[in-house]
Amino acid sequence: MEGGRNGAQSPEEQVRALYEEAESDATQAFEQMAAKPSFGRLLALSAENVAAMTRISFDAVDLLWRNLRVAGRADIVRLSRQLHRTEDKLERVLQEVESLRDELARERGEERVRQ
Amino acid sequence: MSVVDRALRFPVNALEYTNILLTTDDAVAGATPRDVVWTHRETTLYRYQSSDRRYRVPVLLVFALINRPEIFDLRPGSSLVEYLIERGFDVFLVDWGYPDEEDADMGLDEFVCDELEWAVRETLRAAGTGELTLMGWCIGATLCAMYCGLDRDGERVPVKNLVELTMPIDGRASNYAKWVGDDDFDVDTVGELWGSVPGNAIDFANKMLKPVTNFWTTYRRLWDNVQDGTARPEAYQPMAKWVADNPPFPGRAWAQWIRLMYRDGDLVRGRVRLRGRLVDLRRIDQSVLVITAGADHIAPRPGTMPFFDLISSQDVEHLARPGGHIGLVAGSAARKELWPSIAEWLAERSDD
Repeated sequence: MEGGRNGAQSPEEQVRALYEEAESDATQAFEQMAAKPSFGRLLALSAENVAAMTRISFDAVDLLWRNLRVAGRADIVRLSRQLHRTEDKLERVLQEVESLRDELARERGEERVRQ
Repeated sequence: MSVVDRALRFPVNALEYTNILLTTDDAVAGATPRDVVWTHRETTLYRYQSSDRRYRVPVLLVFALINRPEIFDLRPGSSLVEYLIERGFDVFLVDWGYPDEEDADMGLDEFVCDELEWAVRETLRAAGTGELTLMGWCIGATLCAMYCGLDRDGERVPVKNLVELTMPIDGRASNYAKWVGDDDFDVDTVGELWGSVPGNAIDFANKMLKPVTNFWTTYRRLWDNVQDGTARPEAYQPMAKWVADNPPFPGRAWAQWIRLMYRDGDLVRGRVRLRGRLVDLRRIDQSVLVITAGADHIAPRPGTMPFFDLISSQDVEHLARPGGHIGLVAGSAARKELWPSIAEWLAERSDD
């Protein structure tokens, strides 16, 4: 860090250096905290609870929606999954068609060479 | 600059700072022109446009299941994709898309045995070759290793070269393991409850590994740069936008990942089975380039090292470099320090 005119740090530089030291200490302290198993346990418990609360909220809203005879999230997910299954089957059929076409082209090529 | 000068410039700097933060979403990441080759469910295979393909073996880029693959093509002048194209490589990219609740049943089996398998197939068909280079990053690198190590009843995997960037193989000694390694944490139930684990939740957990750096220092440094007149929004914004773009992680794949990576270490113990087929890393006999970062807190170097003892390749190179998990490959210094090494290694192994 640059010194002042007489080689000493200016008040602004001193404040800056102090701040950077404090930030560096805080960084280390928080990283140590995050590496503790107890912190991991807290995070894991929070994740479990948030996941459960989210699910309960979604299910409650869905229940209300379905009683109003309107398609809810679960219905849309079910429809999307059916579409995915169809797409999976279509992809496999396409691959079979492509490999049969390749095989046919190869056989025709060999035939032409023989002729 | 004196305190008075700073005080006088404060309103202008505050406006510029706010402007940078508020317009981050407008930044363009992934601008290199590309064509869609194949799609299935959420997965899309892209081929980057090029008029100068000099190498026969195409490169297929595979990114993680968290964050987006645009990091391979962050911005013009700082894009690995652009760099490889300029050097004559035929570059493809597999994009996992934005899985949602309907994709909750997607496990690692689906990603490796279907999506990646089929993306490889389509890449070979589009490029008209019999072999390719797989270049994976983070979880994408692990998926590539699993794909190459999968039992195929004696059939050879069409991979000539394997490039693994900051790859986790055994995470049991990492901080993640301290968080999710305990059997009390019911990963299956959490994955099932959420369906697809929200990207924001995963991003929050990743940021909690270095909370002060991620939640405070990044923004404080930007403010300092604005004050000094050295802020570069064109560099900051695409990266900030990429960091904030977090697709959900399919619940089943997430639970499998935690178990095999942070609890049981099944990958290094050779006990992973996908659709009943054993994944044995000893089957990897391709030319292998592994790149590790010294300051990687997501996939620490010691978690990659067991890979070298497991594979049977004769042609193995390890580039152990300083840097972080993302910064090493996508940072401002990568173009000069890392990409030339990757391109050189590939060039020697990408012809007949």
